[in-house]
Amino acid sequence: MAESVSYTEKLKKWNRYEAEKFSKKAPVTTPYPFIDIEKPPEYRGIPHINPEKCIGCGACVNVCPPDALIMEWDKEHGVKRLTYNAARCIRCARCIEVCPTGAMEPTTRFEVATDNKEDLVEVVEHKLAYCEECGEYLDFTERQIEYVRNILPKDVFDMYSLEDRITLTQEEKMRRTVVKLRETEGNVYPAFMLVKKKVEDDKGGEE
Amino acid sequence: MVTTTKDLEAHFEFECRACENGRCAKANVDAILSEREGLRDFYEAFKEHIASCKRMTYGQYMFAIDREVLPDAVLWWHNHPKYKETHMSTAVGTDERPLNGHFVYMPFISVQVEPLNMDKNYWVFLRAYLPGDDPSFPSVAKNLPAALWIEREVKDLLGFKPTNHPDPKRLILPEDFPDGVYPLRKDMDYRHSPITEPTTEYRKTPEDTTLVPMGPAHMGIEEPAHFRLFVRGEEIVDVDYRGFYSHRGIEKTGEGRLTYNQVLFLAERICGICGYQHSVSYAMAVERLADVEIPDRARYIRTLMLELERIHNHLLWVGIAAHMVGYDTGFMHAWRIREPVMWLVERLTGNRKQYGMNIVGGVRRDLLDYRKEDVLKTVKQIREGTQTFLDIALNTNTFIKRAEGVGILPYKVAKAYSVLGPTARASGRKIDARLDQATRTATAYDEVDFKVPVYKEGDVLARVLVRMDELFESLWIVEQLIDQMPDGDIMVPIGKLPEYEEALGFTEAHRGEVVHYVMTGEKNKVYRWKVRAPTYNNLPAVPEMLKGYHVADAPLIIASIDPCYSCTERVQFVDMNTGKIKVLTEAEFNELSIKYRGVF
Amino acid sequence: MGKQRLKSVWVYHVDAGSCNGCDIEVLDVLSPYYDVERLGVKVVPNPRHADVLFITGPLTRQTRIMIKKAYEAMPPKPRIVVAIGTCASSGGIFYNSYALYNTSPQRGRDRLRSGGPEMIVPIDMYIPGCPPSPEEILYGIAQLLGIKEKKMKGEYWVALPPEVESSKENEIKFKIPDRPIPLRYWLTLREELRRVVGYYDRDAVLNDFIELVGRAYEEAPDSPEEKLHDLVTGYFLMEKDSRVQVAMRFLENEFWRMVKEYHEWGEALKEKYPVTAGV
Repeated sequence: MAESVSYTEKLKKWNRYEAEKFSKKAPVTTPYPFIDIEKPPEYRGIPHINPEKCIGCGACVNVCPPDALIMEWDKEHGVKRLTYNAARCIRCARCIEVCPTGAMEPTTRFEVATDNKEDLVEVVEHKLAYCEECGEYLDFTERQIEYVRNILPKDVFDMYSLEDRITLTQEEKMRRTVVKLRETEGNVYPAFMLVKKKVEDDKGGEE
Repeated sequence: MVTTTKDLEAHFEFECRACENGRCAKANVDAILSEREGLRDFYEAFKEHIASCKRMTYGQYMFAIDREVLPDAVLWWHNHPKYKETHMSTAVGTDERPLNGHFVYMPFISVQVEPLNMDKNYWVFLRAYLPGDDPSFPSVAKNLPAALWIEREVKDLLGFKPTNHPDPKRLILPEDFPDGVYPLRKDMDYRHSPITEPTTEYRKTPEDTTLVPMGPAHMGIEEPAHFRLFVRGEEIVDVDYRGFYSHRGIEKTGEGRLTYNQVLFLAERICGICGYQHSVSYAMAVERLADVEIPDRARYIRTLMLELERIHNHLLWVGIAAHMVGYDTGFMHAWRIREPVMWLVERLTGNRKQYGMNIVGGVRRDLLDYRKEDVLKTVKQIREGTQTFLDIALNTNTFIKRAEGVGILPYKVAKAYSVLGPTARASGRKIDARLDQATRTATAYDEVDFKVPVYKEGDVLARVLVRMDELFESLWIVEQLIDQMPDGDIMVPIGKLPEYEEALGFTEAHRGEVVHYVMTGEKNKVYRWKVRAPTYNNLPAVPEMLKGYHVADAPLIIASIDPCYSCTERVQFVDMNTGKIKVLTEAEFNELSIKYRGVF
Repeated sequence: MGKQRLKSVWVYHVDAGSCNGCDIEVLDVLSPYYDVERLGVKVVPNPRHADVLFITGPLTRQTRIMIKKAYEAMPPKPRIVVAIGTCASSGGIFYNSYALYNTSPQRGRDRLRSGGPEMIVPIDMYIPGCPPSPEEILYGIAQLLGIKEKKMKGEYWVALPPEVESSKENEIKFKIPDRPIPLRYWLTLREELRRVVGYYDRDAVLNDFIELVGRAYEEAPDSPEEKLHDLVTGYFLMEKDSRVQVAMRFLENEFWRMVKEYHEWGEALKEKYPVTAGV
C-alpha cells in the first residue's frame, strides 16, 4: 500500500464550497453559476454506460422502475440496442447495483439541462450471435457468450462439451439431442456427456 | 461464522407454517382471542355474524364478518368506552373475483388499549365479502364522519355502492372520466385511459350566503386543489372541497408493470416531502408478510433517516406558517437553518429528497464512521440555530396574535373524523404510531426513549408548539441512535415471496400516521396495494375548523394542518348586496391574510 | 425560443399534479443559499405578468385544462416554458398510468420517451432530476439566460463482438479487465459484499482487497494464507474506519472458504464422471 491516503480519508476531506461560511458573517449565497462547482462524491448523478465492458445482458432493463432503460430488438439485422434516456431517469441507482460486469458506472454529473431531448439519449448497440447450423439469430449477444466462457471453469466446459453447443438455437439443440439418443440407444449417461471409453466406438461428440 | 447469500436465500423458502402462527382458518380460535385484551368481548358481541378469525401477523387480527353488521361493528370499536383513542383508520376495497368470485371491503381499526404501549395495542381488520354482481354495503358515514371519504373512494374506483351515504359525489377520478369504468377492477388494464366531456357536480349554495371559489392553480407552494367557501360578509359559513388533482393512478401502476422491489421506488414518489416514510411502511408490510427479520443495523439506519426527515420537514413547515402570517423574514431564516440537513442527507444517501435507501430486506447504503461524525456536527448546528430562531419568532406579537384562538378543533370532532398527527395531538388526543403499535420489525423506536407532546387547546398556536417540541425530541433521538448503533449486516436477501398473503405496514410521518396495505399475488408481483396518507384523514375536518372565522384566516388555518395539498388561486368574490364581482389572484388572497390588520 | 438574450425574467410557477418534491426545490432556489433573485428572476403571482412558466409534475387528466389556460394567459411574446423535474420532462415513473394525459403513439415507450406537459404546450428547456437539486435548476436558468453552455450530448456507441478491431470513432472493442482473481470469485464476492457494506462502497473495498490477494500470491506463493492475513492487518493501520475493517475481514474468510469449496466440488465431480482427456 504505497498510496498514502485511505478510501475513507479521501471522502472525509471533501468539503462544500459554502461550508466555511457558517462560522464567519459572510454572505451565505453560493457564487454558482458564475464559477464551476462539484457535487459531493456520494451524489447520485446520471449513470454512464461503459461500452467497453457492457455485454448486453439486460439486467439493468429488468430492474429499471420508470423504464428509462429499454432494450430494442432488431432480429432482421441481428442487433439489439440498449437505450438509456436521462429524461426519465429517477436516479435510483438500481442499474448500477445489479450490473454484472460493472459497465454501468456511477457519476456525479449533475449539469443535465438541455432544450432538446435528443441530447439525453445514450445508445449502445450489440451484435447478436447466430446459430451455425440454421443461421437464425439467438437471443444472446456474442459478448455474453464470451463472458460466460470466462466465468465457467474449463473442466465444466469440457465435461459437458459446451463449447460446441453454446452457439446453437433451441431447435438445433433439441435436434442434436434426439439424433444422439437414437445413436446411443438407452445408455445410462446423458447423451451429450463425454464418458470414459469402455466400448470402442465413438460416443463422445459434438453434443 | 460466515453465511453466504445462498444460505440465507435457501432459508427463506416459504413453508406453510400458517397453523402455528394462527394464520390458517383452521387455527385455534380460543388461543388467538386470548392473546389480546378486548378481542374476546368483540367476538362474544358479534358471534353469530363472524365466520372466521385469524392472526395475520404479529399484532394484526382479522375477522371475517357479514356485511349487514359492518356499521355496528365499526362503531362498537370506534366508540369503545374503555379504550378511548381507538379509531377507524381507513378501509380498503379489493377485487378478488379471479380468486373467489367476491369483492372485499375491509375497514382497519387501530385499537389502543393503553396509550403508547406497543405490546398491548393491536390492529383489527373486519373483512366483509360482497357478491360479485351486487357490491353494495351499508354505509356508516352518517354516524362516523371518518368514513365519508373512504366510501366515496371505493365507489369511484371499484363500483361499490354504499347505501345511505349522505354525499355520494365523485371524489377521486378526473372530471372527464366516463361513468361506469372502474380503474381498480381486475378487468381493466392500467394503461387504458378513456376520455369524455368533463362534467362537474358541486354542492348547492346554502341560503343567504355568497360563494367564493378558490381555483386549482396556485402561486408557489403545494399542489392544486379547489376550495369553495360559502361566506356571509366576512365570516365563513361552510366549505366544499374538490381535490385529487394529483391523482396519478399509483395503486394500479403498482399492480401493473412493477415487481415488488420496484414498487418501493414508486412508493417513495407518492409525496416529495414525506417520501421515506412511505418507503419504510411499504417495506415493513412486505417484510411482515414474508416473516423476515431484518438485521439490527438496518433498523437503526432506517430510524435515523426517518428522524432526519422529520427535522427538515418541521423546519419547512414553520417557514411556511411564518410566510402565511406575513413574517417573511421568518420564512427565510427557517429555510436557511434547514439547509445543512439537506446537505448532510446528500452525503449520506446521494440525494436531497428521495433517498432511495430502502430495499425489501434492509437498506442499501451503510453508515461509515466519518458520516456519523457529520451527523453529530449537523445536529448541533440545527439545535443552536432553531433555539435562536424560536426565541425571536415565538415572541413576536404578530405571530402569536394571529395564531392564538384561531381555527379551534375540539376533541370530539377530532375523534369523530379520526384526525391524526400533530393536528390531533394539539387537540388532546394522545396517539403516536411510533410507540402505539409494534414497529419493531422495521424500525428501532422501541430502543430509544423520547416524549410525545400533547396540548389541549386545539388552535393554530398549539399546533405550532407541538411541532417545535417534536423537533427537539427528534434531535435527541438522533443522538441516541448514533450512540447505540450496533454492528452487523445491513441487508438480508429475500428470494421468492409467499403468494396471496396480506399485511399492514405503518409509521408515524410528520403529518400523521401512514398506512400501507399489501397483498401479494403470483410470481413476486403485488395483487393489491393501498396507501393512505395522513392528510386524507385531516382534510375533511378542515371545514369544521373554518366555520365561524374570517376569510382572511382561512389560508393560515388550512396551512396549519400541514396539508400535502394546499390550495387557492383565483378567488372570486361575489358580493350579494351590490352584485359586484371581483377576481383576486392567489397571492392577493394570501395578501388578505398577510396584511390583515383586524381587531386584536 | 427566439434565442434573444434574456436579461431579467418574471416567472410564474404552476404545478401539474406533482408530488411536491420539485416544488419545494423551486422554493429552495429562492432561499438565501441559492438565491435566484440575483440573476434577475422574480416570481410573480399572476400568469398575465409572467415571461416564463415553470411547470412541475406529470400532466394528470384533471389538471390539463388548467395548464392550458395558464399558458394562454401569458403575454404572447415571449412565451418560454421550462419543465422542471423528471416527471415534467417525460412523465416520470407514472408515464403510462390511466390518470395521466399521454397521447403519444406507444404511450411513452419511444426513443425520446415522450410524456408530461409537452403533450399540450411546447417546452423550451428540460431540467431532469428527481428532484433536481437547486444547483441543477440554477444551471438550467443560467443556460436560458446565456451564462452557461450546454454540456449534454447524445451518444451512440457500437459494441463490437469479441476479437473484432474497431474502425470508426464510436466502435468500441470488448475488454474484460484483468484481475488477480478469477472472474467467478469476483462476482460472488461482489454480491456478498453488497450485503455487508452496501452498493456504493463495495467497489472500492473489493478493489483494495483483490490487490492484496494479488500481492499475497506473488510474494509468498506457497503460503498465501498467512501472507494475506499479514497484509490485511497492515492495511488496517492505514484505514481506520471500523466498517471497512469488518468488510475486509469478512472478505478474507469468505475468499478462502470459496477456494476450498470449489476445489472440493471439482474433485467430487471428477470422481463421479471421469472424463476423457481432451476431445
